[in-house]
Amino acid sequence: MRRAADVVLIAVLLAAAAAALLAGGPALSAREALAALAGNGSPEARTIVLGLRLPRLALGLEVGAALALAGAALQALLSNPLADPFLLGISGGGAAAATAAFAALPASALGLVPATAMAGSALATGLVWWMARGPLGPSSTRMILAGVAVNAAASAVILTILSLAPSPRLPGALAVTMGSLASASAPAVAWLTPYVLIPAFVLLLHGRDLGLLATGEESAAGLGVEVATVRRRVFLAAAALCGGAVAFAGVIGFVGLVVPHLCRMVWGHATRRLLPRTMVAGAALMVLGDLVARRALAPVELPVGVVTAVLGVPFFVALLRRSP
Amino acid sequence: MPDGAVLRVVPLAPDVTELAFALGGGDLVAAVPAAADHPPEVKRLPRFRQEDVEAILSLHPDLVLATTAGSNARVIERLRELGTRVFTTDVTSFDRLAQACRLVGRAIGRPEEGVRLADDVEARCTLVRTRAATLPRRTALYVVWWDPLIVGSPGTFHHDLLKRAALDNLAPAGAGRYPRVDPELLLDPRLDVVVAPDEKDLRDGFARIVRSPAGERLASGAVQVLWLPADQASRPGPRLPEALEALVAARVAYEKPGSGVRGPGSPPDRIMTTPQPQGRPQ
Repeated sequence: MRRAADVVLIAVLLAAAAAALLAGGPALSAREALAALAGNGSPEARTIVLGLRLPRLALGLEVGAALALAGAALQALLSNPLADPFLLGISGGGAAAATAAFAALPASALGLVPATAMAGSALATGLVWWMARGPLGPSSTRMILAGVAVNAAASAVILTILSLAPSPRLPGALAVTMGSLASASAPAVAWLTPYVLIPAFVLLLHGRDLGLLATGEESAAGLGVEVATVRRRVFLAAAALCGGAVAFAGVIGFVGLVVPHLCRMVWGHATRRLLPRTMVAGAALMVLGDLVARRALAPVELPVGVVTAVLGVPFFVALLRRSP
Repeated sequence: MPDGAVLRVVPLAPDVTELAFALGGGDLVAAVPAAADHPPEVKRLPRFRQEDVEAILSLHPDLVLATTAGSNARVIERLRELGTRVFTTDVTSFDRLAQACRLVGRAIGRPEEGVRLADDVEARCTLVRTRAATLPRRTALYVVWWDPLIVGSPGTFHHDLLKRAALDNLAPAGAGRYPRVDPELLLDPRLDVVVAPDEKDLRDGFARIVRSPAGERLASGAVQVLWLPADQASRPGPRLPEALEALVAARVAYEKPGSGVRGPGSPPDRIMTTPQPQGRPQ
């Protein structure tokens, strides 16, 4: 059953990737795109497929995998099914910084927005960690409460900026808050890659520890888990994943929250087994979501965060209703 | 709109500010919104934030002029609820601009000036039509922002601007006036011309987009980029015909009239055509 689910998941990912390359935009037919992929076709077709669609696909894979993995890790770390990069304010911090950059930086410096977003996510992460520190170290409950506070502050900053920003700057700032893969480029993918690979490696390495932590901090400590160290590493790794995703794709909701639950319903609760599958499922959902965002009203683009929610919620509800 | 002498007019956006002055009603304008910068006389008038209902009411306006292009709908609604007369223009075409001239002229007690200004708009459009008739039809986009790519769609005055300059709008209909569209549209082989307002943010955005794969046809000159005077092209007010005249003049300068052939090899217009990028990305 689980092996069959693995095969289906890989098949969905490959089909989504192929569809994104062949039918990802309004300018080419699938046949033209296929010819371009094979090295034939017009120079324009090659530019569209290799210069636009391929980086966009790669960015979608990275962002989806990063958000879903961050969500799964945080849910296990904090033993809370609602934990995700949003709840903990990490996305909000990045979005607030990126929105401020869009509103305030001179247009020639807008290339700095991703770096600003990462700095915002890092600041939010530091704030949550600092606020959550009690006499006995940061507890799960304190971290979630601190995250909620940071998230609320970030939302206030974003709304203030949007209400004061000069109107020509609003499209860029709004794009950050709604999420989009439209700015994908080969350099963006290259920049993001270490922010996904290194934290992902750290989290996969701590898969067993996270599984034990999900059953409770005390029992995990009793079984030899260095709770404080694991918590620090996992939290920082999840924050880096989320900060990178926000920097290049804006705020894309729902993936980090729901994909881990979907995977848990299919593959069970063993965190070690769950984490890699969560990455693949997140990547698949993001690529599918972006495909729908581009094709539903083509050439108009919908916010991809809306689409991932619309795609994910019914599936999630159906599985929730069926689960014991 | 009830009758009544208008002594104090408060415009809520730069385009209706310009309209009030163009109609000879500058002496009636009590204050102007912060973004208003034309005509030069506005510089000596008090300023207010257009979302600040209290500030607007404190000016004791007999008439507030608003616009669907740049006024906050909630502010308009609130002002009406509080008993203030608000006249809202909805300029989605040059015909609607002429109509707005007549209606606002009547509303502020300058009906003759309204008719005269409307006739002037129509006469200039007729003159432009004669010039544009010599141009081959091309397919175009009106870009209001490069990244994300946001364009003027059918149902906007920018669509009408393109149409009157013998340009067929590639932007989709039915998705709002200024939808965010797929950047692949810039690589659509049907696209011949991109029109954009000449302001710093847009120029900088253009400099970035031509260095990306999406801007390849812009960089190579396969797509001609025409920059229009920003305020004239962005504000649906009395200076909008200047944007149309500039667009048609730029097109005439670029095309070879009558041949039906646009030559990428033909010399680009020095004033308003594509600035050549300084190099391709690594």
